Amino acid sequence: MRSNIAAFAACLCLTPLSAQADRSLSEYRYFRSLSVDLQGRIPSVDDVAAFEDSKFDTDAWIDARLAGTAYAQRVRQIYMDLLRLEVPSTFGFVRSMAVLRRNEILRADGSTVYVYFRNGQRRQNVATDGTFCLAQADTGQMYPRIGPAVGTAKGISDAALNAATVLVKPWWLYRDYTAANPTDRYDATTWATKYPQFRPVDTVLVEKNGQPTTSVRICKEEAQTPVTGTVYKTGRTSNTTPADRLVPLPGDTAFARDSGGKAIACGSDTAAFYAADCGCGPGLERCHPGNANNNDPAAFVLPTRSPLGFEAPFDATNAQQSQWSRFWWSEEAKHFIDSVVLEDRDFRDLLTGREDWVNGPIAHFYKQIQGATCCDNGVYFGLTEQKPLFDTTAVPSDLLPHDTTAWRAVADRGNLASGILTMPVFLTKYGSRRARAHVLYNAFLCKQFVAESVELTPSTEPDLTKRSGCSTCHSTLEPLSAYFARVRESDWLYLPESNFPTVETKMCNKTSLNITCRSFYDPAFSSESGAKLYGAYSSAENTAAGPKGMGEYIVKHPDYASCVVNQVASSLLGRALNEDDKARKDSWASDLVSSGYRMRSLVRSIVKSDAYRTSNNLSSSEWRGDAQ
Amino acid sequence: MRNTIACSFFFAVLIESGCTKTPEPTKAVAVSGKVEDLPGHESLRVDNSHKEGPRTLSAESYIRSYLFLFGGLSPIDSQTALRGSGATVDTTLFDTWSDYLGALGMPDYREDIARSSQTNALMIAAFERIGVALCDRAAEHDLKNGATPATVFTFKKTAALPTRAEFDERFDGLHRRFLGYPAKLAPTDRSSRFFTLLTNASGATTDPTIRLTGQDAGWTAVCYGLIRHPEFHLY
Repeated sequence: MRSNIAAFAACLCLTPLSAQADRSLSEYRYFRSLSVDLQGRIPSVDDVAAFEDSKFDTDAWIDARLAGTAYAQRVRQIYMDLLRLEVPSTFGFVRSMAVLRRNEILRADGSTVYVYFRNGQRRQNVATDGTFCLAQADTGQMYPRIGPAVGTAKGISDAALNAATVLVKPWWLYRDYTAANPTDRYDATTWATKYPQFRPVDTVLVEKNGQPTTSVRICKEEAQTPVTGTVYKTGRTSNTTPADRLVPLPGDTAFARDSGGKAIACGSDTAAFYAADCGCGPGLERCHPGNANNNDPAAFVLPTRSPLGFEAPFDATNAQQSQWSRFWWSEEAKHFIDSVVLEDRDFRDLLTGREDWVNGPIAHFYKQIQGATCCDNGVYFGLTEQKPLFDTTAVPSDLLPHDTTAWRAVADRGNLASGILTMPVFLTKYGSRRARAHVLYNAFLCKQFVAESVELTPSTEPDLTKRSGCSTCHSTLEPLSAYFARVRESDWLYLPESNFPTVETKMCNKTSLNITCRSFYDPAFSSESGAKLYGAYSSAENTAAGPKGMGEYIVKHPDYASCVVNQVASSLLGRALNEDDKARKDSWASDLVSSGYRMRSLVRSIVKSDAYRTSNNLSSSEWRGDAQ
Repeated sequence: MRNTIACSFFFAVLIESGCTKTPEPTKAVAVSGKVEDLPGHESLRVDNSHKEGPRTLSAESYIRSYLFLFGGLSPIDSQTALRGSGATVDTTLFDTWSDYLGALGMPDYREDIARSSQTNALMIAAFERIGVALCDRAAEHDLKNGATPATVFTFKKTAALPTRAEFDERFDGLHRRFLGYPAKLAPTDRSSRFFTLLTNASGATTDPTIRLTGQDAGWTAVCYGLIRHPEFHLY
């Protein structure tokens, strides 16, 4: 026991590293801790040898590591553990506009060919409008929205096939897909090095006969390239299903009747349903490939887990086309956190910054795909084109979808952007307004919603800030979730005030709350004079402020700095901070604020502190209970 | 663990103090809650500082360290090397990284599975299995085949079993590589124990069907002991 007391005393009385070559066990252990936390691994033999050199400068060594990626990843790990910014496959990002499926078609010579198409694509040919572009008369088969063709196939003539389809060299096969005659085709050997994790599934790369796919055959309408189309008005008043097709022939909706012939942006989902002259764009860049006609066909080979970074995957599997988006959304957030930390920016930027870093797949998403969730019934409120949270004009124009490792800084994403709060990964991982508010409240203010011991009584009160038993938490949560009232749930679609006033009085009220109104307005908070936007009832002010307002609210909250200290210090010390840590916690919080919220300064203070030096002050024999 | 040790220390001090003083049974003592107010404890040193147990290496740090020790290979390349390839694939030695990630405590953000920061039986078993794989493959590469550059066993193998001095020099290198400090600073006489281990393991078998025999088997056992040591997994 007395020797243990001496050991404890030795640990507690650690002096700063001396200039002597003989290091104590405590000093070696401190160095190992530094290496694990700031280099991401145990020290190498060379690291240890350098540490033993009498000229070794620990402070300089720490500062050098605080400029490295391993340190940034260590901080990112803390916040990824809290936010878990990876989206599960249960969030199926399958939008008709952005998915190319394919049917296998029998040709007259007995061979088969894949023909790509978009579900619901409008066509001026009545036989194929709203469905696959080859009719039963040509192929002998009928085509459901999803699933295999029905009926006995007959060989289609070349003339009929060529009349309805064209050959295109698409972006997933060619680097130079925008050229008149693309030649730089996917090469598994060289692209694996040049563009890691850009790998289409084999079934997209190879034809049924085993020959490499050099171009894809696609319905003519899908191959169209205009940026703007026109609303297609057919004159048909209702949907009907002719005997020779399985998908109804679309009639004109009220929007089509009112807006027929008007211009519409081809980059929105709305265009796929309303315009016969909008397609997938040059090189089919507005669409993802799919290897079948199922709901979410496979498209790319991706790792299922890549905790050391996507460049160092643990496996590779065929992934659904939606996983391509989900995977890169997550990488965007990880890279954003890494960059804020590595560049030692104001850590508040994590929630409020308008900057971002994008690579090829993310740039491709923002330029070509993000409009795919716009606009459904929003067209009846005048929303036919998205007002993006990431301004598409800010996306670097020279990045190609294959540029997986080329990350570029975007100084300003636009006035709606706010750190991770407006990134697709956050908005889809936390689909509901309340989930978004809750996780931020928890991770950045270190607060929990804990219900008091109150009696829950039956109630019809829709206002949860008032309902007994609910108000304890919801009086805080509802106004916070109102910050996200203008971002549709499980989506990144922004609902502008000009189209969606907080209180709608022209189209919607309690007695005229049809399905169109109910898409955006809450029946529980509607009156005869108007209807209220979902999620906005508790705070019109917060609704107007939007996600930016949420970011500002958190970083200006008195608990923000101490919570950052709490999260980072408890992770580095390997324990929760307690009352005994109050003084050092206050000191670190003060330092964080005075440094302009620089993470490097905070981490430096923590790893140089006695608390960190002695954060492992038990001997090996104490750990094991015996000696080894 | 921290509380247990702190309490043990406190009560040991109480007992020790109680044994050296004559009790005064009839005198009432005002209980203030402070140790120094207890009779006979006025000048006794009280250690009320934090007693911090070691932290578990995060799964990411563990795997990075493991890959670094194994020559800096990527996860997939290391998996191929650990399993072997072609007809020599040996799944009894190593499965796939994906099979171990959960056991090593790696969080799965997609499925909202939190990081496991405390060791458990499954994690220890995973440390055991993949640690053995690293040592076996490294011994095959470095000692049995003499391939260069060596990954773990960077020393020159002696012709016969090493003498104690030869062992100490080589063991110190391994100790630094795995645990980050000289073997002489270990809390107990670790070199002696590991020398015994080497000697015993080297003579355990001469069966030629066994992958590693003789001195190679001895050094592999030493490697097992270091990579499975709590000081390797904790920091």
